[in-house]
Amino acid sequence: MSDTPSEAPVRSILPKWIRGPQDFIGGLAMMAVALFALWASSDLQGMHGFSFGAGTAPRMFAVLLLLLGAGVALVGVLQDGPHLSHYSWRGPLFVSASIVFFALAIRPLGLVVSAFASFLIAAMGSNETKWLEAVVVGACLTAGCAILFPYILGLPMPMFPRFLIQ
Amino acid sequence: MEIFANLAHGFAVAFSPINLLMCLIGALVGTLVGVLPGIGTIATVAMLLPITFGLPPVGALIMLAGIYYGAQYGGSTTSILVNIPGEATSVVTALDGHQMAKQGRAGPALAIAAIGSFFAGCVATVLIAVLGAPLTKLALAFGPAEYFSLMVLGLIFAVVLAKGSVLKAIAMIVFGLLLSMVGSDIETGASRMAFNIPELADGLGFATVAMGVFGFAEIIRNLDHGAELNRDLVQQKITGLMPTRKDLVDSTPAILRGTVLGSILGILPGGGAVIASFAAYTLEKKIAKNPSRFGRGAIEGVAAPESANNAAAQTSFIPLLTLGIPPNAVMALMVGAMTIHGIVPGPQVMQKQPDLVWGMIASMWIGNLMLIIINLPLVGIWVRLLRVPYRLMFPSIVIFCAIGIYSVNNAPVDVVLAGVFGLVGYWLIKHDFEPAPLLLGMVLGPLMEENLRRALLISRGDWSVFVSRPLSAVLLAIAAGLLVLAVLPALRAKRDEVFTESEN
Amino acid sequence: MTSIRSLAGACLAALASLCAVAAPASAQNYPTRNITMIVPFAAGGPTDVISRIVTAHMAQTLGQSIIIENVVGAGGTTGSTRAARAANDGYTLITGHMGTHAASVPLYPKLAYHPEKDFEPVALLAGTPILILARKDFPPKDLKEFIAYVKANAEKVNAAHAGIGSVSHASCELLNAILQVKPVGVPFNGTGPAMNALVAGQVDYMCDQIVNAVPQINAGTIKAYAIATPERNPSLPDVPTTTEAGLPAFQAQAWNAIFAPKGTSPAIIATLNAAAVKALDDPNVRKRLLELGSVIPAAADRTPEALATLVKNEIAKWTPVLKPAT
Repeated sequence: MSDTPSEAPVRSILPKWIRGPQDFIGGLAMMAVALFALWASSDLQGMHGFSFGAGTAPRMFAVLLLLLGAGVALVGVLQDGPHLSHYSWRGPLFVSASIVFFALAIRPLGLVVSAFASFLIAAMGSNETKWLEAVVVGACLTAGCAILFPYILGLPMPMFPRFLIQ
Repeated sequence: MEIFANLAHGFAVAFSPINLLMCLIGALVGTLVGVLPGIGTIATVAMLLPITFGLPPVGALIMLAGIYYGAQYGGSTTSILVNIPGEATSVVTALDGHQMAKQGRAGPALAIAAIGSFFAGCVATVLIAVLGAPLTKLALAFGPAEYFSLMVLGLIFAVVLAKGSVLKAIAMIVFGLLLSMVGSDIETGASRMAFNIPELADGLGFATVAMGVFGFAEIIRNLDHGAELNRDLVQQKITGLMPTRKDLVDSTPAILRGTVLGSILGILPGGGAVIASFAAYTLEKKIAKNPSRFGRGAIEGVAAPESANNAAAQTSFIPLLTLGIPPNAVMALMVGAMTIHGIVPGPQVMQKQPDLVWGMIASMWIGNLMLIIINLPLVGIWVRLLRVPYRLMFPSIVIFCAIGIYSVNNAPVDVVLAGVFGLVGYWLIKHDFEPAPLLLGMVLGPLMEENLRRALLISRGDWSVFVSRPLSAVLLAIAAGLLVLAVLPALRAKRDEVFTESEN
Repeated sequence: MTSIRSLAGACLAALASLCAVAAPASAQNYPTRNITMIVPFAAGGPTDVISRIVTAHMAQTLGQSIIIENVVGAGGTTGSTRAARAANDGYTLITGHMGTHAASVPLYPKLAYHPEKDFEPVALLAGTPILILARKDFPPKDLKEFIAYVKANAEKVNAAHAGIGSVSHASCELLNAILQVKPVGVPFNGTGPAMNALVAGQVDYMCDQIVNAVPQINAGTIKAYAIATPERNPSLPDVPTTTEAGLPAFQAQAWNAIFAPKGTSPAIIATLNAAAVKALDDPNVRKRLLELGSVIPAAADRTPEALATLVKNEIAKWTPVLKPAT
């Protein structure tokens, strides 16, 4: 992995007998996903006679994932492995914000406004961003999308804010 | 020879100016759709269907077919350049293709993908013309039991193509299978793990998850501190645009093998093309002298799956042209296009509509020629795109992906879900879980479960059908053999694994 | 910076034109802008094709475009839910069918709309007859033998259908209820895969709409026992009706009809109904619908009131058949 090497403080949280924290935490998380799936599919019908019920396959896969997760966590205990890597907050935060904004805005505000605004929000995720450049490129990109998607590909989507149309 | 007369007739139809134009439009739109992340062929063909209302039926179908296989050419582009597979069939292309791009070899990767696709397309077109009717039997020989065994084999491929820990790869497949369970149960219609969210009623979309775990996750990861160095390296050392003589020599056998696998698996309706690309990659990795090159920019890892998926895209027309039964959603839309024109395809479509069938077959060859002429010069432009500073590139990718995902179902919830999967994917990368097996599990999961249940319903719960039917038994035997091959070296050579992680 | 200026220019121009179009909607001069027709199924399916053929003609009568929007999902209920929640100004309509506006009531207990309470019926368009089909080497030769065979071998036969909520599923359940048999139902994802399994002989029989079955029957890859309509169909003149073949109780048709959201003004409904009726009388529209094997409703069945009665009767017909299935 090209990520920065282990952070000392992160390591100290975990007890010493965990030799591969990356695998250990990864395995635990898979087990958590599996338990969640087991809970979420608990209301579904199981086997009836010779045929599968709606819940048979999901529960089967969830149990399998639980075991595999345990296996991965066990590897993390028994074997020396990489430490937890460093997470940054800026990229994930602004990229997610940009995506969520787009999802909320596309219906009421249309493609033009939401694409441009989302571009700028996403651009905040990097400390290399130069604002004038970002605004110009964002505007060009928005104009390009506004022609490309509805006209060339014929995909129906609102272009402009709803309150301006009605 | 009747076949030559038929083909001559087909070329006469396909070479009419209007049909040539339709073919070109189809190829161009297909390339565009393939290149744009998120926008799938199904959505585009569905949107363009009304336009074909006013066109002559042969021209309309030539155009729709062009979009379908054109997207296979375009799909490799985003996989290689930005590690975002637009279609399920180009997931494996991303594995080595993007590594090649990181090494400054995006040009050769794109070029070999186009060349492999062209070769495979030409061979598969001839195959449709010559052996279309007999090959139909293969599609009919595959019942639920055979499909289940094929899906099991497909999942084993996903284990083999993993480059790190086998245990983690299997965990990812099962995670993918679990994700594919979301939605409506096929037999009872019960809503499974959908939490009463209407957008989840039909399950998670492939595009949604793929854009998340590949596209958004990759972007977020690249924004990390320390990742700048890695990125700048990509931009500086772009070497030649075209493959070297050595590249061509290395790729030729891979292209041949990929074409054969793709042509055969493509005939099977439902999932054939996806399995073809994974199978081709797995085969190359297994027979390579030095399998550790795979996943680090081996050109065979691009050539084989790209040839396979394009061959499969062509041969998947066989059930449609010989039986009149659409093998996948895009073909079902083409049947719709025919129906709108009053042509309902059936087993006699070849006799009743020779213009349509042979014109389409001939147009596929012309379309492939057009596509390689369009795509090879584009390589230079795509590679130049890599020089765009990342600070401008990543917000653009975010916007394209967001619009693409929204356009699939016009559902904002899908965009949010892709964002969530972006964070999940970021976490997976941090814990060294690979996303490719997850996606394969997700694509094959429903097919596997449905066919398992169908097979058991028909056999009244007798599990022996999977081994008593010869085709199914053979497929399961291959799967078991591959699994042993995959697990044994992993158990033996733990040192290599550590080596893999430190190098990558 | 030229691109920004040109973009701004384009925005202004587009806004100006949009504002000019968006005059307040009223029933008198309806329609003044494009109408959206939601089709809750994939483009190219029977409902979509019928809808496109009829609305293309209606658009000429109304003087405005009708834009088809395919909103696919959950057996057509996703699109129907969206239509039920749309503004009742006559600019959002839906082409519903037997499944979305009748069979969905018993099939989906948590349905977000009710076909009678949330929609205003507009006009019945066309129906696609349902056939009883079997693999080509299935032993029974005609419907009488089929009934006897299925009853005698209820444990052994497999009936395919195109997924829960599909027309083929609902009609097969109806047939099974009439015959009082419970064969194993093998679900497929859509008509294509189900037909593939029937042609390949992996399943024994199924009920399906006429459109895709005709070429297969003519080619002899599958066989048809009967058609569940009162009269024979011109595209399959040799296939007897269920009445002729001795099973008059089995009558089923995948009807398609236009609905508007509840509360749409009666004047708008009347305008739309008149346009639809006019389309159904057009020789070209009739020809294209008949080519698909569709049945065009008689004049008396085309009123909104007749459609309301049809929906009521159909819900009553499907509820007992489909209730135990879920």
